[in-house]
Amino acid sequence: MPELVIRLENVRKSFAMPGGERVDILDVPGFVLAAGEQAALEGSSGSGKSTLLHVISGIMRPDSGLVEVAGTDITRLPEGQRDRLRADTLGLVFQQFNLLPGFTALENVLVAMSFASGRPDRTRATALLEAVGLAHRLHHKPAELSIGQQQRVAVARALANRPRAILADEPTASVDAAHQQQVVDLLKNTCTEHGVALLVVTHDPDVARQFPRRLRLEEFNRAGRHKV
Amino acid sequence: MSLWGIAWRSIRQRLFTSGLTALSLALGVALVVATLVIGGVVRDAFASGQGLGYNLIVGAKGSPLQLVLNSVYLVSKPIENISWRFYQEFLPADARPDGVAGRYAGSVAKAVPICMGDYFRSFRVVGTNAACFDTLTVGDGRPFAFAAGRNFRDDEFFGGVLGGAVAAKLGLAVGDRFAPTHGADDGLVHDPFTVTGILARTDTPVDRGVYVNMEGFYLQEGHAKPVPEGERGDEAGAEAGKDRGLSPAGGNPAPLPFKQREVTAILVQTASPGGMPPELLAMGLKTAINEDRDGQAAEPVREIRTLLDLFVRPLELLLLLVTTLVVIVSAIGILVSMVGSALERSRDVAVMRALGARRSHVLTAVLLEAIILAVGGGLVGWLLGHGIVAAIGPLITTNAGVSAGFFSAAPLGEALLVPFLVGLAILSALLPALAAYRTDVAKWL
Repeated sequence: MPELVIRLENVRKSFAMPGGERVDILDVPGFVLAAGEQAALEGSSGSGKSTLLHVISGIMRPDSGLVEVAGTDITRLPEGQRDRLRADTLGLVFQQFNLLPGFTALENVLVAMSFASGRPDRTRATALLEAVGLAHRLHHKPAELSIGQQQRVAVARALANRPRAILADEPTASVDAAHQQQVVDLLKNTCTEHGVALLVVTHDPDVARQFPRRLRLEEFNRAGRHKV
Repeated sequence: MSLWGIAWRSIRQRLFTSGLTALSLALGVALVVATLVIGGVVRDAFASGQGLGYNLIVGAKGSPLQLVLNSVYLVSKPIENISWRFYQEFLPADARPDGVAGRYAGSVAKAVPICMGDYFRSFRVVGTNAACFDTLTVGDGRPFAFAAGRNFRDDEFFGGVLGGAVAAKLGLAVGDRFAPTHGADDGLVHDPFTVTGILARTDTPVDRGVYVNMEGFYLQEGHAKPVPEGERGDEAGAEAGKDRGLSPAGGNPAPLPFKQREVTAILVQTASPGGMPPELLAMGLKTAINEDRDGQAAEPVREIRTLLDLFVRPLELLLLLVTTLVVIVSAIGILVSMVGSALERSRDVAVMRALGARRSHVLTAVLLEAIILAVGGGLVGWLLGHGIVAAIGPLITTNAGVSAGFFSAAPLGEALLVPFLVGLAILSALLPALAAYRTDVAKWL
């Protein structure tokens, strides 16, 4: 049986509405992602895709259930340790790329390294950017980079701390059709090359069908079927 | 990348607003530094009235502070003159024509007369004798030094010595001649005196004094005390000179008769019999003089301390308070600037948190940003403050006779500025730092 990088068991998450009413967003009996596996998670808007990623990455704590990342149940960890585990084991790619505008491409990668256990490694950061074809853009700020180049920086940044898995939240949503395929290829190829598991959240079926494992959140999230 | 690096890049990202904030802080700090330094320089200058080689000033009755300010610091107006007869009461037997020691001579180690009232191009002219620079000291017992030439001799009636600042300002050299004016710059022009020496800079009011032989000073128009013809009597001018070893020989005219002489003040060093501190005799001598009708005695150190305590220090404190308020207002500028950029910052904070930054990391980064702004602005302000002192230094030298330049410092006050600024920065950045600490990551991603 392959090693599991992510394992969820009976995870529930609800939010309080302004009127005091609670709405269940997640009720996931089980979910796993194996080491090196690449999967697409589809779901309609508001189905809880982003919430699931936030719970897996430890940004949000679930109301109940088990969330295991690289063998550690992060629901039992205090926030500081969850932050450190996230920096050490997960790489995040956001819909808007979310590069830090005041930092150059190289610094965006270095800043991610500075929150992990190891020391920032300028040589590795440079090599990662060179690997995604940005050797000539190391010292450019995000505003000086094209959309495609920004996305490459985001991928290099996600790989900065040798993560076990990359979680990508709608990485193609804000790029035009011409760039969508480039982004998907970049993520898949890079993760294959580095032996990193990949979970891509998308609402686009064309993107989802390019992954060997394709999941629909509505199919395993029971919260979507009954509101309380 | 360290948190310092992250904070610095955040500042660079908002370079314009950060720059303006730091600049406003720099201006505030510059004012504080300038106030501290100038206050310190002036205070030190006044406090340096010790070790000058005299511990009492005797002059006409009136304000003792005015007497000290006029005689020592060459500011304010002379009160009035005192009689030559009264001056002679401080002289030993061998210095008096009648061969009898003066009433106060037993308590006096030295007594140097000064006569004032003339000017040379805005600088005060002081008539005195050679003992002024031969026996008095700069401060702390250091003798006067000459940058060029020498002191005038008592028999050089028209010899003069210039303070260092005067010579530098007017470009006069040894051998040059200068003619003082009576009472004011546009007053009656007197006979010229010849520069025999230029004093080395002392950073005291002496630097802006023009010192001339009082024998020549007395001979100028308007300097002889009007005496009815029949009362001049006992001595002719030439005899007055002979009594004191002065003669009209060597081209000097006859000295002014004693009865027509007055002095503005006497710089007195009390005696120290048997090695006693001279202050012991000073108290008694001062009381005796003040009980007399002829004049008053003032202790320069005591008068200046009173001046400092009553006026200078409160004024300095008030200025310091105002300038400190300016710094605090500038620090509030940091707060406003950081709160204003909170929205922009929230997204960056959320991204960093998602990348693994702890809450303490982002809180510290925001505080460091404020500290960099405060210390950076403070450093610029510190340089600017010293620049202000250097810029107005010549003005201070001209008006107060003390030297103030870029490297003049108020070490304690300036050293306290750093922790003050850091504390102020932390206080002003606390709100935005806490906002960063509480940033809802999920909301901003």
